[in-house]
Amino acid sequence: MAKAFFVDLSRCTGCRGCQVACKQWKNLPAEATKNTGSHTNPPDLSSKTYKTVHMLEHGKGKDLQLLYFPEQCRHCYLSPCMTASDVPGAIIEDTETGAVLFTELTAKIKDKQGVRKACPYDIPRIDEATGIIHKCDFCNDRVRQGMLPACVLSCPTGAMNFGEEAAMLALAESRLAELKKRHPDAVLGDAGTVRVLYLYHEKPELFHKYAVFAEALAPTSRRALFAKLAPRVKSSLG
Amino acid sequence: MSLTRRGFLQFGLGATLAGVASGLGFSLEKAVAKAAAFKLQWTKQTTSICCYCAVGCGLIVSTATEKHPAGAGKVINVEGDPEHPINEGSLCAKGASMWQLTANAQRPPKPLYRAPHATEWKEVEWDWALKRIARLVKDTRDKTFQAKNAAGEVVNRTEGMASFGSAAFDNEECWAYQAVMRSLGLVFIEHQARL
Repeated sequence: MAKAFFVDLSRCTGCRGCQVACKQWKNLPAEATKNTGSHTNPPDLSSKTYKTVHMLEHGKGKDLQLLYFPEQCRHCYLSPCMTASDVPGAIIEDTETGAVLFTELTAKIKDKQGVRKACPYDIPRIDEATGIIHKCDFCNDRVRQGMLPACVLSCPTGAMNFGEEAAMLALAESRLAELKKRHPDAVLGDAGTVRVLYLYHEKPELFHKYAVFAEALAPTSRRALFAKLAPRVKSSLG
Repeated sequence: MSLTRRGFLQFGLGATLAGVASGLGFSLEKAVAKAAAFKLQWTKQTTSICCYCAVGCGLIVSTATEKHPAGAGKVINVEGDPEHPINEGSLCAKGASMWQLTANAQRPPKPLYRAPHATEWKEVEWDWALKRIARLVKDTRDKTFQAKNAAGEVVNRTEGMASFGSAAFDNEECWAYQAVMRSLGLVFIEHQARL
């Protein structure tokens, strides 16, 4: 019964409909930002921004490529952030939908930076005023009412998809097979470990530093450790 | 999903125990509590059309009923209408922010007026502003109205005024608006959806 996202990056046009729909459903305020030379705005996730579309340019002239990366929490099957929390009930998983949720109890976690560091994708953000840690909540309130997450509903191109886990995986596999013909580097990022499955039509590292976990990081780091652990534990659990 | 209260309690308890056993601090009860305070509770849904461009995407507007703490009539949420043939639920960044058309603290609460040669805007009353607009429209129309063109053909028009807007009108409101403008004899009528 658990759900999953499938994000087909080859279909993203960077319209930011998902980003705004997320802010609107959650009533999150706008942020004062500066021109950084990139179209990405806000430039990063924050305690007020759970989703931002990274806009990247690679190559020059004929080889110029525009890549868009709507970044959000991956809702891991085995969440490293959960193990970094010392407060019961602060980080929970709704096993019915699969959502990994940060509650207000995250304000009581001692090592908050530890939670952020534990995340292979660098997603959690701490609200300095309240101490609460924030991130995408899967639109679990909507999903439990049978509605699509706000970002998925808003997507005009079919880049954002949401549904039963098996159906999303099947869709992902078929899109991957199709894209492989034109994009030999196409890959499903961290398939089998996350509920938000991205299909990268180019090398994942072109999209974001933490697009897929963490080969760039030292193997001893917590992030990399959990990332490597997750698929094995998953398979041992069957 | 139909769960009896008893079934619901068992379900919650089982899940909590499973959470304790797995040692991950997982508790479904909290997740259920979170879903209980659903944003669209005590709202009613009506359909509308996005006013921002000529595509005409369908919207579902959720408005508070008497029971809602925000007070009856307040718009709580606006999102794409999945059953609308144009957009099938999707919206662009601008359309997705549609809720702010009705709820936006940054919007001026009253008309702003800058007198000829003045450098500052000042707040004025609607009553005063509408009377002034009506006066200027009448004077300009009287001064510039052409019953016939140079060739002697009946045109009944004024080229002394133009209309541009409004960005917050939907299709039907635009129709009513342009009908008023044409009845005044305006020929320069434009809307931002054509930009």
